Amino acid sequence: MKTHEHLAGRRGFLKGLLAAGAAGVLGSGPGSLLRPHPAEAAPFDPSAYEVFRNACPRNCYDTCSIKTYVRDGVVQFVEGAPESTFTNGGLCVKGYTYPRRIYSPDRIKYPMLQEGRGSGNWRRISWDEAMSRIADKILEIKKRDGNLLGLGLTKYSGNFGITNYGVEGMMSSLGYTTRFVGTPCWPAGIDAQNYDLGDMWCNDPEDLVKARYIIVWGANPAWCSMHSMKYLYAARERGARILVIDPIFTQTAAKADEFWQVRPGTDGALALGMARHLLDAGLVDRDFVQNAAVGYEDFAAYLKTNVTVEWAAKTSGIPADAIRAATEEFAAAKPATVWIGYGMQRHTNGGSMVRAIDAFVAMSGNIGVEGGGARYGHLQTWGFNYHAMIQKQPAGSVGVRGASGPKGEFDFAGGEAATYSDRTLNINKTAQEILDARDPELRMLWIACKNPFAQDFDRNKLEKAFAKLEMVVSVEQFFTETVRHSDIVLPVTTLFEEWTINASYWHYWLSLNEQAIKPMHEAKSNIEIAALLSRAMNAREPGSCTFPQEVDGKEWMIKECNKGIYDLFGISSWEELRKGPAKARLASSASWHDRTFKTPSGKYEFSSALCARNGFTALPEYVEGRRPDAPFRLMTPHIQFGLHSQFVNLDWMEAYYPEPFVYIHPASARKKGIADGDMVRVFNRIGEVRVRARLSGNVAEDCVVMYEAWFRKLNYNVQNVVDDCAADMGAMKTGAPGVAIHDQFVDIAPADGGRA
Amino acid sequence: MSTRYAFLMDMDKCIGCRGCGMACKNFNQLAPDMVWRQVYPLDERIYPHRDRAFLSLACNHCDDPACLAACPAGSYTKRPDGIVVHHQETCIGCTNCIRSCPYGAPRFNKVEKHAEKCSLCHERLDAGLTPACVQACPTGALTLIDLDTFDNANAVQYPAGYPAMPRLNPSTRFILPRMPRVLRG
Repeated sequence: MKTHEHLAGRRGFLKGLLAAGAAGVLGSGPGSLLRPHPAEAAPFDPSAYEVFRNACPRNCYDTCSIKTYVRDGVVQFVEGAPESTFTNGGLCVKGYTYPRRIYSPDRIKYPMLQEGRGSGNWRRISWDEAMSRIADKILEIKKRDGNLLGLGLTKYSGNFGITNYGVEGMMSSLGYTTRFVGTPCWPAGIDAQNYDLGDMWCNDPEDLVKARYIIVWGANPAWCSMHSMKYLYAARERGARILVIDPIFTQTAAKADEFWQVRPGTDGALALGMARHLLDAGLVDRDFVQNAAVGYEDFAAYLKTNVTVEWAAKTSGIPADAIRAATEEFAAAKPATVWIGYGMQRHTNGGSMVRAIDAFVAMSGNIGVEGGGARYGHLQTWGFNYHAMIQKQPAGSVGVRGASGPKGEFDFAGGEAATYSDRTLNINKTAQEILDARDPELRMLWIACKNPFAQDFDRNKLEKAFAKLEMVVSVEQFFTETVRHSDIVLPVTTLFEEWTINASYWHYWLSLNEQAIKPMHEAKSNIEIAALLSRAMNAREPGSCTFPQEVDGKEWMIKECNKGIYDLFGISSWEELRKGPAKARLASSASWHDRTFKTPSGKYEFSSALCARNGFTALPEYVEGRRPDAPFRLMTPHIQFGLHSQFVNLDWMEAYYPEPFVYIHPASARKKGIADGDMVRVFNRIGEVRVRARLSGNVAEDCVVMYEAWFRKLNYNVQNVVDDCAADMGAMKTGAPGVAIHDQFVDIAPADGGRA
Repeated sequence: MSTRYAFLMDMDKCIGCRGCGMACKNFNQLAPDMVWRQVYPLDERIYPHRDRAFLSLACNHCDDPACLAACPAGSYTKRPDGIVVHHQETCIGCTNCIRSCPYGAPRFNKVEKHAEKCSLCHERLDAGLTPACVQACPTGALTLIDLDTFDNANAVQYPAGYPAMPRLNPSTRFILPRMPRVLRG
């Protein structure tokens, strides 16, 4: 049991007093026997702890800098680093559960083998046995197929610490393998911004305070970037107006000046209507569209021919006079900005919607302006060496002919000409790709930093696909649904048990992640696991794996750093980060501040030939969304208590979030005979979810909402009813199109007689 | 000059994130199912959007604490700065305090069989720091005030949904939430 000095001291002292009292000092307290004086606890003494620097590596805008307080080799508590003006001394409801995560009794403690996948018949094995079984299987596959394309890796955002790209490195060090590429997160918007601006590059979020008008469009920072909220509030205190546009009355919407409940998938029409009104009202920034952009005249002609404010109003559901008023206010406020959320591009027309919003912001003259911008994300601070990731295939390795290679938004390896490359499969169609893989079939899957049964789409299909696999190895901390579908599970360290370094895709801070405690139980970091595998491989077949057989986590963290990183952050060495996180030295808080764009023309492209070449329209034209095939649209966004399948499983979190719901409008619930708290079935052609209903006017009448999460004690998985329908864009920069996560349709009915 | 510490809970800034409550668990090392601070969504009759406005409540460190009056073991003390301190070591687990507090602040620890509650992190205050929940709040919705100098005409003592107990005179103060203009498609 872990205890603070100030708490332990108090308890220990009083225990002594009680014992003394019982032994004979009866009546020590005034007016009573056996009652000791209540003692004052000693003031909290930070110097009684060893303090380490850590960083939250989850797939989150905020990527918090953490201060970890350790005593007796035990993490006693964590707090936000005060040096980062973004983290500002406070973590979020998830981050504060970290001490429990480290010491949770539910953690996977040692390698385990499941006798019969899904049987629950687990037994402890040694690391040696685990690696022997894995290495034997890999060599068997290589012998059978003459290559290692039967070995696949699926990994994404479970831990963004840079050294964890060593998992990809481990795969390369074995040979040419199969990689699941792409991202379910934000690809359509990335490509959209690349067409328009030449890259995804957002302003420093801390400059939101300078904005005079802020549209938060399809983002919910109150839950998903809560450290950004203080900037929205500060902007408002300085007179800014905040408009939230979202299909759901989100927590962010509740804090806005104005909320527009847009019909899902029609945000593009709304943005085009606003653009048309800029044109009609003479509010276009002539300087920007003429001097910093190309294709503006074509776009203006498109708007005049195809778009009216009335049409935008009818399509989106937002009244025309409100569209006009907000557009005029936005144009009058300098600077004005739109925060484009990842939610609004998870549609079959998501990329086109982002392009329409970009165009509106560009026409208003707010691109390249401090406090302005079409903010989406950035990778400006990710210029690490990717030393762990870049490993050489063993001599004589055979793969897919040609150098197509894996792709991804975080793939910084650069393309080098090769005779062979890895086989790439679409991460957003994991189930279908496993089922369809031929020559060779996918035989073995390595899963790290990812929980496919919680994140990948069409869970029922995924079960069938996994049944095809001959061996599944999961690297995990908890017995997730994915682990249940695995043969071997390997325990991986938490962020407090390993060295790494972390950057954000939203803010501009860099954080060191020190090893604060020894690895718990038999847990190992991803690169240590790779080294162990290399040892097992080379013991069996010398030269079969190029990954170093010994790694030092700290050394490998240092190897990720370079002069470019040091210069960008104004530090002379990574060791300076021990004093606290560092912020990139920016010439301006505005992206594109010099109006030099990375597009082929070097200008903002209202009309993108590249976009047209890739099969879309050159202009950001309106594209209709996916047609419903069931009565309700289902949206499965994020809740503040979890990050995908992480955190909600912890008993600490259960104290605040014990149970999920499907949120349904009271009028719709009435029609379906559903009362508040009833058990219901949410179902469609691919599956069903049983969950309690919570009646809420926060959702539209034709929408239902379930938040993605993994509860350790509940059979709840939104991916039962989310299919793998693709979003429009994403293939260019991330290797695969995104997923239309919010273009899903379901029906709903009372289950088990309702009041179960 | 005396001091009377209190929480100021700005419902207009609160986003219901529960970071305050979890920061409390983290710093005070509470048992897995124990909370000293809970965040309650306001009833729709009070705020018309369900689950979108909140009361974040811990101990209100009352002027005349019912828990202290009800405790037969003398396990409650009130510091000169207003903080009501519960001493777990002398608690006999009778639950009188739990039954007498109209705000549900003291809670029963089933394993250790004693009551416990928010200490206003007086160990931190005594070291010149803010309470863990206040430090955690990402929006400045939860702050520490001194009632003897606090002067905010917008603050209320008894917002709707919060029991009015003038005899106890709870120290927490609140700012009420506003609402956005809503246009629905």
